[in-house]
Amino acid sequence: MRLILILIASLISTACSMDKMLVRSSVPLIENGVVALNHETDLDLAEDSIPANLNMLQGMINIDPENALLHTYAAQAFYGLAYGFNEDSRPERASDFYLRGLKHGLVALEIDGTRDLANAPIADFEKQVSQLGKGDVAAMFWTASNWAKWIDMHRDDPEALAQLSRATALMQRVIELEDTFYYGGAHMYFGVYYGSRSPVLGGNYDKSRQHFDRAREITSRKLLIPDLLQAQYLARQQHDRDDFHQRLSYIISAPDDLMPELGLQNQIAKRKAALLLKKESEWF
Amino acid sequence: MVLRALFLILLFGFSINSIAETYTLKFATLMPTGTAWSKILDDWVKEVEQKSNGRIKFKMYSGGVMGDEPDVLRKIRKGQLHGGMFTGYGIGRIYSPARVLEMPFLFKNVEESDYIREQIMPDLETGFRESGFELLGWPEVGFIHFFSTQRITSVDDIRKLRIWLWQGDPLGEAFFKAANIDPIPLSIIDVYTQLSAKHGSIDTVYTSTFGAIALQWYSKLKYATRIPLTNAIGGLVVSNRFYNKLPADLQQLLKTTGKAMSDEIRLDAREENRKSIGILEKNGIEFMFDWDEVNMEELLAIRDNAASYLEQTNYIPAEIFARTEKMLADYRNRTANQLNDESGTTATTTEQSAQSPAKDISD
Repeated sequence: MRLILILIASLISTACSMDKMLVRSSVPLIENGVVALNHETDLDLAEDSIPANLNMLQGMINIDPENALLHTYAAQAFYGLAYGFNEDSRPERASDFYLRGLKHGLVALEIDGTRDLANAPIADFEKQVSQLGKGDVAAMFWTASNWAKWIDMHRDDPEALAQLSRATALMQRVIELEDTFYYGGAHMYFGVYYGSRSPVLGGNYDKSRQHFDRAREITSRKLLIPDLLQAQYLARQQHDRDDFHQRLSYIISAPDDLMPELGLQNQIAKRKAALLLKKESEWF
Repeated sequence: MVLRALFLILLFGFSINSIAETYTLKFATLMPTGTAWSKILDDWVKEVEQKSNGRIKFKMYSGGVMGDEPDVLRKIRKGQLHGGMFTGYGIGRIYSPARVLEMPFLFKNVEESDYIREQIMPDLETGFRESGFELLGWPEVGFIHFFSTQRITSVDDIRKLRIWLWQGDPLGEAFFKAANIDPIPLSIIDVYTQLSAKHGSIDTVYTSTFGAIALQWYSKLKYATRIPLTNAIGGLVVSNRFYNKLPADLQQLLKTTGKAMSDEIRLDAREENRKSIGILEKNGIEFMFDWDEVNMEELLAIRDNAASYLEQTNYIPAEIFARTEKMLADYRNRTANQLNDESGTTATTTEQSAQSPAKDISD
């Protein structure tokens, strides 16, 4: 009887291990899926395909919950779903997705060795972040991206505002370790960070411009998002209507095949640029 | 032919009368969009536009897109803008005597501050009017505390710190001079950078508890004083040039709704500052240096010295400060007597109540 129990236990254990092995061997499929999705220039098709991919990802996480890479992909997927397809039309849904992305990102960082980054005292938080290395860049980047967006959508809550320094410290670490990660995304973060506020409230227009320039340099100005963000935040903050109009017009008229590997992001930029242009007479 | 002409004149005349004149109020504030205060401001805009049947329309410039407060004031004086919401820094450039309400260590609590403000409001309105502005309302930034990387347990401790002074603020300059503190004058733009630098020029700043969070300064600091330096004011104004053009009913509408909206922001600010104390403590900020640990005579001497410096430049005339002190002493005396009547204990003297430690200042 005892032998049978041991046999069953080891079979279950083997089955679990096999499931995990299967999940881990499927990770390249996800990577290829992300690459394919980024090439997609039909926004409806892209939006329709994301939920199924997210469900598959969640299923894989259920089998292999200690897999930091899967949580990082989930953080990236929730960010993309929120920013690309919900933020402008369904902000509450976007906020929920950013929060879910943030939670996955924090889990990924915990698996990488951090402890309670959301609540640790600031000094302890900064010490932990300083110990993260190059292998943690992706998890840091998507955690910080979701975090900052969620905070931005809750500016009326001091508790949320107090967390901005944590998102920013993570992104600062990304810049230190690999500033070209995700097409210079950390530079776009700081372009917005310094460009979206009056200098009296911590903004710095020169620094903002430098970060946007660096982000453009990294992608040879083929990715349209840096120009979109510069118009949306810095040009608006500086009340520079010409710059706002010119950048958004440039985005709308840019060829669809400007950067095929990021065709989806550029189509999202075009759609957002058109929405922003409708606000021009209200804002200026 | 004559009849037709008469008909056209009547029709034309009727049309002219039926098209009410509209006024576009270009309004600027440092408040970023999406914040709690800016939502209250947005509601005010909708209310005014609706109640004026569209005769007043707003063009809002939030988040400092029109520059800092001196920039906005310059633009209002040039007629490029018509109104704005200002802190004491900007108010001092419109009608500086209003900043008597920001004298250091003046008020025990918000009730005192509210009472004195209401008493001197007619004078403030006249002062603003004579300076080219109509004062619509009086929001509030709230109590200002010191935040530092070092522990603060006495005024002597404060003197040893490298304290930021908001460059160009006469009230701040007078306070530090009176307290024999040698501050580091810096633009507010440079504060976070200097706090973040390994060998930055400052280790101590002053702001509201909510401000410490909104500006992210708290993340570079460890300690805060419980004793507030002052209760920072705010003002909602429009230029006379704009206001005087309005018909009486629209002037009244701006006054009534502007006051109600400012009152709402003031209450909200108090609540946010109160909540922010808990958030700061949760994030590792230790509050210290309470009223029972302080030599009150020393603080009052600093306040009176600051007042005499401000009198010399007429920034806050002596008569206004003296009248404010007198009203405050009378108010404290009355309040103490009422309390004593209720409890049956002996009343304190006017002098004692005016000088007593402000233990019950609440955030």
